[in-house]
Amino acid sequence: MRGVDLVSNAIRFAILLFLQVFIFRQISLGWGGAEYIFVFVSPLFVALLPLRTPRPLVVFIAFLFGLSVDLFYETLGVHAAAATFAGYARQFVLAILEPRDGYKVKASPDGKDLSQGWWFRYLGALAIAYTLFYFSMEAFSPVFWWQIVVKTVFTAPISWLLCLIVVAFLRPRL
Amino acid sequence: MEQILRIFFNNGSFITFAGLQLLCVYLIINFNSKQGEIAAETWSVRAGSVKSVVGTFQDYLDLREENEIQQAEIANLRSQLENALYDTKAGVDSIDDQRYQQRFRLLATNVVNRSPFKPTNTCVIDRGTAFGVQPGQGVVGEHGLVGIVDLPTANYARVISILNRAARISAGLRNDAFGTLLWEGKDPRRMTLTDIPDFMTVVVGDTVFTTGYSNVFPTGVVIGTVESSAEQPGTGSQDLVVRLINEPLHARNAFVVQDLLKEEITSLNNNRR
Repeated sequence: MRGVDLVSNAIRFAILLFLQVFIFRQISLGWGGAEYIFVFVSPLFVALLPLRTPRPLVVFIAFLFGLSVDLFYETLGVHAAAATFAGYARQFVLAILEPRDGYKVKASPDGKDLSQGWWFRYLGALAIAYTLFYFSMEAFSPVFWWQIVVKTVFTAPISWLLCLIVVAFLRPRL
Repeated sequence: MEQILRIFFNNGSFITFAGLQLLCVYLIINFNSKQGEIAAETWSVRAGSVKSVVGTFQDYLDLREENEIQQAEIANLRSQLENALYDTKAGVDSIDDQRYQQRFRLLATNVVNRSPFKPTNTCVIDRGTAFGVQPGQGVVGEHGLVGIVDLPTANYARVISILNRAARISAGLRNDAFGTLLWEGKDPRRMTLTDIPDFMTVVVGDTVFTTGYSNVFPTGVVIGTVESSAEQPGTGSQDLVVRLINEPLHARNAFVVQDLLKEEITSLNNNRR
């Protein structure tokens, strides 16, 4: 039952914020004068919040994390909007992916109590939600829908992969 | 109140989400130059369309007033059109009635009003006492008869149609038999010529003329043709059914027959009496 109390969530908040703004911010790959690949670990923070957290609180904590990221990215509001959306979408992802016998009380969302495949799908859905909303807010107009789609297609899988790697380092299994 | 709280608890995550999204959009617009420009541009475009919608709506509210202005202007313009004016130009023609050495003057008029079809048909012509129209003057069409002037005013005159049960017209045949033409009140194509002596031979197809004895119509105006004859037992006369050559109820143009010598003849009649 590690990782579900307040202290470990606060520590995770700090660690993921540090990783996002000091390490993964440096990564921006692209070609032809445009950048298409970024790395976001913010979905990981939203995903790792305890399953029993009240839904409004999930949204609010996600907003706080996104706002903190924004302060370092100098894009005030964009990450916050994406993180808020991911926090709101989390309840629907959980409802869709709910196992046949429901979630256990005090279950941690990472793959310990639930299957590895469930964790992959869960994190992937949140990563897609986060990146799609992030690039929509960055473009801020449906006129740029093609850029939004392309950036999401490239960024979401890589962010998802990085999140899996980070969680493997943070919470080694066995 | 309880329901409002329940809605909030049931949808707390959505309300939090919506509020925070509004906050985020506010932050994005105010602290990011590119998104701020897009928002300003979008706002100006949308504001323009909203203003045009509001303008259209206000135009619609002014429609009644605009309508009144337009109607006043239309009335003004139509009052200047030709058909709104009373034509003071008189079209006058005359014929010589040589048999009786009378002179009739014909005054061109237009039928401007008609009564609905009934046993007492009347119509109105657009010439009145200003042109010398007087009661008792006959009205003829291009072919046949139309009626007799009944009630003239300054500019108009009411005409009793020959298809009126009160109308009596002196009519005759080529062989100098004459009688009274009247209408039964049913068939607008046929009239009845009464008081033809039964010893007169009448052939179907004979032409019926006006006699001119009543000083209403000139002599020899064609009225119609004989369609059939029927002897009236015990009276020594026969009735002829006359098929009219015109449609008096549908006449558009008519001529008022003005007898210039009518007073002279009337005085003779008075002396005789």
